[in-house]
Amino acid sequence: MDSLQLGSYTFSSRLILGTGKFSSTTVMLDAVKASGSQLVTVALRRFNREQPGDDLFSPLASIPGITLMPNTSGASTAAEAVQAARIARELSGSPFIKVEIHPNPQHLMPDPIETYEASKILAKEGFMVMPYIPADPVLAKRLEEAGCASVMPLGSAIGSGQGLATAEMLDIIIRESTIPVIVDAGIRSPSEAGLAMEMGCAAVLVNSAVAVSGNPPLMAEAFAEAVGAGRKAFRAGIMEKSGIAAATSPLTSFLGSGT
Amino acid sequence: MHEMPQKITIQVNGEPHTLFSGSSVNDLLADIGSDGKTVATLINNRIVRPEHRRNCRLENGDHVEILIFAGGG
Repeated sequence: MDSLQLGSYTFSSRLILGTGKFSSTTVMLDAVKASGSQLVTVALRRFNREQPGDDLFSPLASIPGITLMPNTSGASTAAEAVQAARIARELSGSPFIKVEIHPNPQHLMPDPIETYEASKILAKEGFMVMPYIPADPVLAKRLEEAGCASVMPLGSAIGSGQGLATAEMLDIIIRESTIPVIVDAGIRSPSEAGLAMEMGCAAVLVNSAVAVSGNPPLMAEAFAEAVGAGRKAFRAGIMEKSGIAAATSPLTSFLGSGT
Repeated sequence: MHEMPQKITIQVNGEPHTLFSGSSVNDLLADIGSDGKTVATLINNRIVRPEHRRNCRLENGDHVEILIFAGGG
């Protein structure tokens, strides 16, 4: 059985789904079910009695086999992210935490220094730390050494749909890492998710591409299939590129043999 | 002689909120319409676990945060 192993947790799905930006909770839940995702992200937000539908805990908990991975979105320093992680763990009952520290709303690029500091502290506290990071092989290695459960380099900016703009760096990170590498952010279409898996990513995290599509449950299913196909291709071993043609049919032609 | 119950003013998620003196975190949750099952509670940046909410008394000027899980990527 080819499964995603994160610490003592085993997941048969390699598609992690974000729950933001959906038009309604019903659509989001249908997409989660259609995706087959077993790990879904959520964000901490202030309770508002006027909007009881914002609270996703019970609806998500009603789906069998779901583990919550809260993020620390909104944190702009390591200290804030650590505090958010501790609060989130109280609520989720899950050790998974997506460390997400982006101080600038203009580009949402993760702060590598604060992310490293927060991840180091949280790993020591027993969290399954899943840091969202720039596609930097040196940082990825340092986070691995700090005890992170995975690294989640960005394909491109959050919500940009620019795909795997960092492919060259992702390739190095995948080659060098002994922990699962999960592409998080920027993926626009199932083919890009499939490509990430073919490259050797352990999983992909997708949110906007599903949430803002015309039919989120159908798109979630498409992503699940692409991730599955990409993973199978990676395991099978993809052929090398060649600069010259190599025939797949025999060229010893019987057609010309009589002349 | 009958004393009027004392009131305190606290900040709840950044908004002023008035409660009877001696109110617990559970009293506050009931007051704002939360059953407390799917929220995290903090007083002055300190996490108050569900099992401690009943006995945790709020003081005048406390800053309380009541947080939920909402959609996010």
